[in-house]
Amino acid sequence: MSLVNFTTREITCKIVYYGPGRSGKTTNLQYVYGRVPDDRRGRMVSLATHTDRTLFFDFLPIDLGTISGFKTRFQLYTVPGQVYYNATRKLVLQGADGVVFVGDSQARQLDENIASLQNLQANLLEQGIDVRTVPLVLQYNKQDLPRDLILTMEELDEQLNFRDAPSVPAAAVSGEGVFETLKAISAGVLRKLSEEPPR
Amino acid sequence: MKPTRAVEPWILAPLERFVTESAARLTLVMTPSGQVLAQHGFTRAVDVMSAAALGAGIVASTGEIATMLKEPGFQALNHQGRRHGIFLAGFESPRGRLLALVVYGTDSSVGLVQLFFEELIAEIGEVTPVMPAPKAVLAADFEADLNQSLATLFQ
Repeated sequence: MSLVNFTTREITCKIVYYGPGRSGKTTNLQYVYGRVPDDRRGRMVSLATHTDRTLFFDFLPIDLGTISGFKTRFQLYTVPGQVYYNATRKLVLQGADGVVFVGDSQARQLDENIASLQNLQANLLEQGIDVRTVPLVLQYNKQDLPRDLILTMEELDEQLNFRDAPSVPAAAVSGEGVFETLKAISAGVLRKLSEEPPR
Repeated sequence: MKPTRAVEPWILAPLERFVTESAARLTLVMTPSGQVLAQHGFTRAVDVMSAAALGAGIVASTGEIATMLKEPGFQALNHQGRRHGIFLAGFESPRGRLLALVVYGTDSSVGLVQLFFEELIAEIGEVTPVMPAPKAVLAADFEADLNQSLATLFQ
């Protein structure tokens, strides 16, 4: 849940990058970390296995600057994508103000995408949150792979985007779509905050 | 940045007393999802957030282990290093469950921290006001500001 300080006029929001294993969640954060000026970001924390698979979470705090007179900071988290780590995934999801679902565009990964999206829905419901109300952006990553290996945006939307949420094509390894995704989820989270005061 | 600051002003005085009495070097009071309510000793806001995220993660994961063991919950956790110790604990407050992360040096001890931590919990319990009615936060036209901020972020 976002934290708003009316005295110092500061807002802090939590955004979670969700999705199946190896879909590119950590790569999104690494790209953001590499592009954002030092004074606008904190240290990127990665709790990973010895093979660089996310074990608990990656974390990157960024300072968006002043928006509507409020100094605004976002905490970007990733969850571990592997099915095995659902317990830790649930913990990271607690208190999320917005979710980026990073899907893998490869046709052979479609079942994993669907399973991960269902898992997101189940884990949100466990916290009493309806997936239809939480700000959500779908990023279809790896769109730079050969055409015959991947699904088109339309096909992915048809299979995954039941909420008609904003969807962004991406190649996170080169940064394509990373900024657009962050912009879309930031707008979604702040829009919700402007419509519904924090509890 | 002031050494001690609070998002919720009523925490400030109890926190200042706690750090003075316990000689804690760094202290965070936060929600279980890692949102910081008050802090002492950190210089950069983004470092505060990293420490809070890690602390909240530790408490959440040990809490889940407690659930698996059918334990009511582990109250506190302490790690003692050569120059620093960390004390991490959850507690109930009138605003719900909160967490505290305390870093102390060789001029303090876990016993001292624990002793004054109990007082901190009691004081927070006494001074916590009733939750105010929520009020609107952002103007409806925030998007121009957002676009400008993001443009400077990704140069």
